[in-house]
Amino acid sequence: MHGDHSQQKNELQLPSPTAWPMVLALGIALVLTGMVTDGIVSILGGILAVAGMVGWFWQVLPHEAHEAVEVSTEEVRIVSSRTLAARLPIGPMHRKIIPVETFRIVTGIKGGIAGGIAMAVPAVIFSVLKYHSIWYAMNLLAAGGFISWAGASNAFLSEFHLRGLLAALVIHGLTSLLVGLLYGAMLPMFPKYPILTAGFMVPLLFTGILRSALGIVSPILNQRIDWFWFVISQIAFGLVCGFVVNLQAKVRTPQFQALPFSVRAGLHSDLDERKHGELTDSDDKDTPR
Amino acid sequence: MATQTPATEVLDLTVRKAPRRHWLEVLHDWVTTVDHKKIGLMYIGYSLIFLVVAGVEALLMRIQLAVPNNHFVSPQVFNGLFTMHGTTMVFFVGMPILFGFGNYLIPLMIGARDMAFPRLNAFSFWISAFGGLLLYFSYLGGSGLYGAGSAPDVGWFAYAPLTARVFSPGHSTDYWTLALLLSGIGTIGTALNIVATTICMRCPGMKMSRLPLLVWLYLVTSGLTFVAVGPLTAAQIMLMLDRYVGSHFFDTQAGGSAVLWMHFFWIFGHPEVYILVLPAFAFANEIIPVFSRKAIFGYPAMVAASVGIGFISLSVWAHHMFTVGLGPGANTFFTLATMIISVPTGIKIFNWLATLWGGKIHFTAAMMFAIGFLFQFLIAGLTGIMLSVAPFDWQLGNSYFVVAHFHYVLVGAILFMIFSAFYYWYPKITGRMLSERLGKWHFWLFLIGFHLTFDLMHVPGLLGMPRRIYTYEADRGWMIWNMLVSSGAAIQAVATLLFVFNMVWSYFKGAVAGADPWDAWTLEWSTTSPPPSYNFAKIPSVGSRRPLWDLKHPEDPDSDYEMEQSVPRKRSEESK
Repeated sequence: MHGDHSQQKNELQLPSPTAWPMVLALGIALVLTGMVTDGIVSILGGILAVAGMVGWFWQVLPHEAHEAVEVSTEEVRIVSSRTLAARLPIGPMHRKIIPVETFRIVTGIKGGIAGGIAMAVPAVIFSVLKYHSIWYAMNLLAAGGFISWAGASNAFLSEFHLRGLLAALVIHGLTSLLVGLLYGAMLPMFPKYPILTAGFMVPLLFTGILRSALGIVSPILNQRIDWFWFVISQIAFGLVCGFVVNLQAKVRTPQFQALPFSVRAGLHSDLDERKHGELTDSDDKDTPR
Repeated sequence: MATQTPATEVLDLTVRKAPRRHWLEVLHDWVTTVDHKKIGLMYIGYSLIFLVVAGVEALLMRIQLAVPNNHFVSPQVFNGLFTMHGTTMVFFVGMPILFGFGNYLIPLMIGARDMAFPRLNAFSFWISAFGGLLLYFSYLGGSGLYGAGSAPDVGWFAYAPLTARVFSPGHSTDYWTLALLLSGIGTIGTALNIVATTICMRCPGMKMSRLPLLVWLYLVTSGLTFVAVGPLTAAQIMLMLDRYVGSHFFDTQAGGSAVLWMHFFWIFGHPEVYILVLPAFAFANEIIPVFSRKAIFGYPAMVAASVGIGFISLSVWAHHMFTVGLGPGANTFFTLATMIISVPTGIKIFNWLATLWGGKIHFTAAMMFAIGFLFQFLIAGLTGIMLSVAPFDWQLGNSYFVVAHFHYVLVGAILFMIFSAFYYWYPKITGRMLSERLGKWHFWLFLIGFHLTFDLMHVPGLLGMPRRIYTYEADRGWMIWNMLVSSGAAIQAVATLLFVFNMVWSYFKGAVAGADPWDAWTLEWSTTSPPPSYNFAKIPSVGSRRPLWDLKHPEDPDSDYEMEQSVPRKRSEESK
């Protein structure tokens, strides 16, 4: 009895080796090969395929064929191959702290929506002042998608086009949301001078990149854009989006501002360099933990 | 302070000293095997053979293009070379080698003894392998374009109407179609197996939230395979009907549509890029943390980004067709969709960088290839963004700029990560370490050859050199660039030979690896190298994403910090 038990313990049941899958594959391959060689090859393939299927079925019906595989056991140690490990002093919270709560998606989305609405205001003012139509800026934006519109007349772009409205809404909506998310993610990392960063530096940087890229990608569209008004609308977006994000994110506590950039970005933490109490005493829910 | 973590696991080792067997017996074992590891190795082996074949084809093309007005090969042979090179690399090197690694690793990483359907696994391998053999049998049995060549010569995406009987007499195109059909059956079978194995055969404790990222990525890849390979198979069947029974799906003169073929092909073709690159990401997800000595940064974001890439990649196919004249609406959609895919991809790159940040980086050969991958994939992505802009694509579509871009992805990203994977898992597969010294020679030579070839290949593209051109006039200004590009290809070939030598030499003479030579954290390293046929005598149970870390560091296990466990634990502690 004891012997039987140990025998069972030293064997495992694994699926039996079988050639039938290979035979079936060869059969199917030959059936197709016959189409480019000779019909007899297809017939041979068909026979092999049928044989392969039958053989395979016998392998698994009524019960799947298994073979016993011998298992011999011995105890081995799973150890780190590093014989020397430098251990940093462990604080009361045992592990270092990462500011996982600095960014919530909804913050960026709200900022993007608000900024997108604000951005439309200077764009509409520009359209009315220069082209006496509220649709011009919208159609020009749609020209980013409808390539041929980049060369269309001012009169055409001043008219209402449903396609233009839909395209502009999609482009403007998506871009605003994505940039809003970027603000939501990035601004907490740059808590100092938020108005300067969000309202001026980022819009100017973005405008510069876009202008230089558009000069290559679509020179005609590039010429038609009034970059002065473009900058104004970008600043409007940046100020409003930045304001909403900063209002929502609530991460500009003195403790958070004092953290190095890499910690604010969530790359690593330096809890041990700080007093544990400083952080835990704060009741700010966005405080790193 | 010195630390030796106590053993907490009992492992099972098969007695290895077996009597020497006759070679026919060994062959029989391999032909009849249903063991996922052997099947994985067969996938990898046959891919490597085809890699050498397709590499030689590439070298022949580069010799042909190195100087102007060259007649090293005939135009007909050249057409066959680029068709076979592309088809082989995508269908008979890239996919099988990645599925080979998946086959080998997935059951080991999730603590299973085999794939869910071992016989289907064997069938999938064999039918893919026979597909490859059928493709190359065309050199004997086909008759190609102009009736002169024998191998398929219609390009790897075989645009209509070139594939019609009137333009492609004989059977060369049929060989291409049938080989891909066979390969597609195998691919679907393996994908099905990977999904079933991942869903159904995880060991106790291996929740989806603890799944190794490699397995997650293979799951997404397999899902993509289901969606992408179907349209290709449908298109192949339609093409066969056109060629054999006279239907007119792609015959524009009879009311068919050549553009229909393009849609069908690229609905497969672009997700295919991600089917190839996601496993490369999967390797990076395992290798970068181990050699940074840090857990992967942002595991949930990595999973979300992978799934996001999977979905978005299904909606970008027509960026391959901007030059067709799709109209402004479609151009806009596919431009935006293509650009949006850079968001989840960017998340991945930032997370890998964040994993490296502050880590104790070990510059092993595997890690060097992984770091090379990071930079090169970024550049490949940037040229991808450039080409995603429809007007830019109109200028450079079908030029060598495009060839350089996708080789940056396929070689600079995917092949680099495949090399990295070899250096990382070779010890597990064979029980022997690859030579690090030869590995570093391999890395630097291949890196130099790669950049010489594919950085400079952008330039003739910008200067207007079309892809698939047989030769060119000397006054075009392309010669110096082509000469340098071809020189780089030769350096890559030398590096690859070094790699092959390293694998063979190390198999016999390499240092013994032991079970866990990299001090890694996933389950495959908890069993012997090579693993026994049953993988684990006792099915393991895991408590975190890094089960071996937990075993090695019981004083500081990851399981204490994972959300699902820590919350109740903290609550229970508070209640006390």
